[in-house]
Amino acid sequence: MADAAPSQAMQRHLVSFVSLLRSHDVRVSPAETLDAMDVAATLGYARRERLRDGLAAALAKTPAEEAVFHHCFSRFFDRHLADFTSTREERSAEQDAVSTDALSTDALNTDAATENHRASVEQLLDEASRDDAALAELLATPLLQQLRNNDSTALNLALGEAAASIGLSQIRMFTQKGQFTRRMLDAMGEEQLRRTLARLEQQDSPALEPLRRYRDILREQVRDYVEQHYLLQAEGQNARFMDDLLSRTRLSNLEQRYLHRVHELVRQMARKLAERHARKRRVYRRGKLDMGRTLRRGIANDGILFHTHWRRVQKNKPQLLAICDVSGSVAAYAKFLLLFLYSLQDVLPKVRSFAFSSHLGEVSDLFAQYPVDKAIELVNWRYGGATDYGKSLQDFARLALEDINSSTTVIILGDARNNNGDPQLDIMRSIYQRSRRVIWLNPESRRAWGTGDSEMLRYLSACHFAAECNNLTQLERIVDQLLKMNR
Amino acid sequence: MHTQDFPQLASIEAIEQGFESFGYICSPKIATAVYLAFQLRKPILVEGPPGVGKTELAKTTALLLDVPLIRLQCYEGLDEAKALYEWKYGKQLLYTQILKEKLGDLLKGAQGLAESVERLHQFGDTFYSEEFLEPRPLLKAMQQERGAILLIDEVDKSDYEFESLLLEILSDYQVSIPEIGTIQAQVSPMVFLTSNNTRDISDALKRRCLHLYIPFPSVELEERIVLSRVPDIDEQLRHQLVEFVHSLRDLDLKKSPAISETIDWARSLLLLHARELDPQIIHSTLNVLLKFEDDINTAESALRDLLPRRAYG
Repeated sequence: MADAAPSQAMQRHLVSFVSLLRSHDVRVSPAETLDAMDVAATLGYARRERLRDGLAAALAKTPAEEAVFHHCFSRFFDRHLADFTSTREERSAEQDAVSTDALSTDALNTDAATENHRASVEQLLDEASRDDAALAELLATPLLQQLRNNDSTALNLALGEAAASIGLSQIRMFTQKGQFTRRMLDAMGEEQLRRTLARLEQQDSPALEPLRRYRDILREQVRDYVEQHYLLQAEGQNARFMDDLLSRTRLSNLEQRYLHRVHELVRQMARKLAERHARKRRVYRRGKLDMGRTLRRGIANDGILFHTHWRRVQKNKPQLLAICDVSGSVAAYAKFLLLFLYSLQDVLPKVRSFAFSSHLGEVSDLFAQYPVDKAIELVNWRYGGATDYGKSLQDFARLALEDINSSTTVIILGDARNNNGDPQLDIMRSIYQRSRRVIWLNPESRRAWGTGDSEMLRYLSACHFAAECNNLTQLERIVDQLLKMNR
Repeated sequence: MHTQDFPQLASIEAIEQGFESFGYICSPKIATAVYLAFQLRKPILVEGPPGVGKTELAKTTALLLDVPLIRLQCYEGLDEAKALYEWKYGKQLLYTQILKEKLGDLLKGAQGLAESVERLHQFGDTFYSEEFLEPRPLLKAMQQERGAILLIDEVDKSDYEFESLLLEILSDYQVSIPEIGTIQAQVSPMVFLTSNNTRDISDALKRRCLHLYIPFPSVELEERIVLSRVPDIDEQLRHQLVEFVHSLRDLDLKKSPAISETIDWARSLLLLHARELDPQIIHSTLNVLLKFEDDINTAESALRDLLPRRAYG
């Protein structure tokens, strides 16, 4: 390890970088923060790319997080130093001048002229301050000194200090920008400058113009600085806010463009649930020593127990059959339900998926073969249409009834609206009897069950568990409950 | 492992050069990760598509340091008896038989049960001792005197329980055996874990590792890799074939060709005395690069777009 400990300032910088990462949904634990500091201490700060790669190794744990990391890294460490040389107006004027008479005038000449002009302005200020004690006092403040000397290092430092003192990293909403800019300016001591300016305006002093210029420069730079911080901080926060909102929105209202975000949420959820589920199910593959067999085998060797025998534990792998209604009546939900199914199949090992409307077919292979959008489209296209629960249950019984045993869970996603057809309740019953559990998730609210052509109340008699499910939070709660029941 | 023992890992540049001398061309990112893993004594979790040289990285590091490479291939159902240690049951049972015979001598003249038990206690208890311990890869890596490279390959294929087992080893380089106690590594090994992302590794494990994602290399890097592995190949052809493989990776394929396949292809082209890429030769050797019939069909139908126009004349 390099012996030089990182300076305090750099450590603080790293910590705020980590909190920036956290706001962008990269999970960084305190231990990892310490790792990052070790990394920085080992690699040193001299070479950016090296530091970036090293920090990425310690902080980003997936390729996706690495991408976010790179984004944040360049945003955070490439921040341009504020430039206090001139106002924006002057700069654009200068650019115009350069572009128009770049060929005709001598650039050196102009530079010299600006230099001369600037010197005379400074002189003007000094002269004015001779008869004006308040002005002299103002000019003696560090802020004005730095502005006049164009001491960029000191000014940038002052910006950083002011930001730290008012807690600029707390900025979340664009409406806060004005307020934070004001507080930044106050923290930097702009108030004195402002008051003096107001007084000088009444006196129409020659010092007015140069002073006003300094004020404008300062304000512009502070505003830019706040803007940068806002972009840096708010981006991540807004994304999180969006996720929160999405998980509460009714699934049918979700717009197409948010679908991929929802997909990610569903995936996260399914994975979380699968993990939680998996952890509780501890199975010892090798059971206890089978003393009887061990002794019996030992008889041949004069009672010496050469070979040990172990009882085997039968591993009961839970099987999940999921059936999804993709008919017109649930069209708005079908996409989501399929999405859920798709993610489930992705994270749980033994899931078979079926889709139906007028008839039913297995879609596990489709899900396994195609990416999610394509798979859902194909399923919709192949199985979409008018609902016939009776026929579909028959299909299901033909395809899978044999495989249903006491370790099978059957999940049905649908609204149970059967267009007044034969509900084939007896098939439902036999599924109910054979399986470990039948779960029905219905996107309609409980009040609507059994109204019109809904067969929900009848099917209810052949379900172990039925629930209303039309947003992500509900779904998560239900699945969580189910997993708890399992134990 | 200490820096003074291994000057090969003293700086990032040294690592890059060392790897190169063993024919492993790596990006600065990889070298940085190895350097940090060594300096901070942390395991590296290497992820990336199959065939980008994840396992090769560990092997090359072992070659570079000239320490043994101990490899543990993970699979579903891997447990501590196969990964960590196992008791030599056969020997233990034999031992009890011998003990039985000795028991008479030992207890001769003992007064009553209490004294017999007392004598038994004084008798050395070797039944659960290191003599009857059969070390498996993880424990073996701890016992190496000069340190070792421990490669835990495809950790995503193992169960979650196995991951928790790894936690103690990876953070403290020690193993707890209930009957004996804790065995601390004399020289902590350098650990590489690889994952193909078939499932997510638990956060607890990730947190203990440095994370290194190896993507497919850039054209320049891959050319250097081909150069080091197949030095005889013509420079222009080398450039062409690497470009072609890169354009294949942009296609929607079941399995994109990896570096190892690029190298295989370069070797086959060399064997066939190819001077230049033309549709004919690509057609007959595409099965070296692509391993699915569907992929080969996709690539062939896109061949016209992938090749420089002049190849078609």
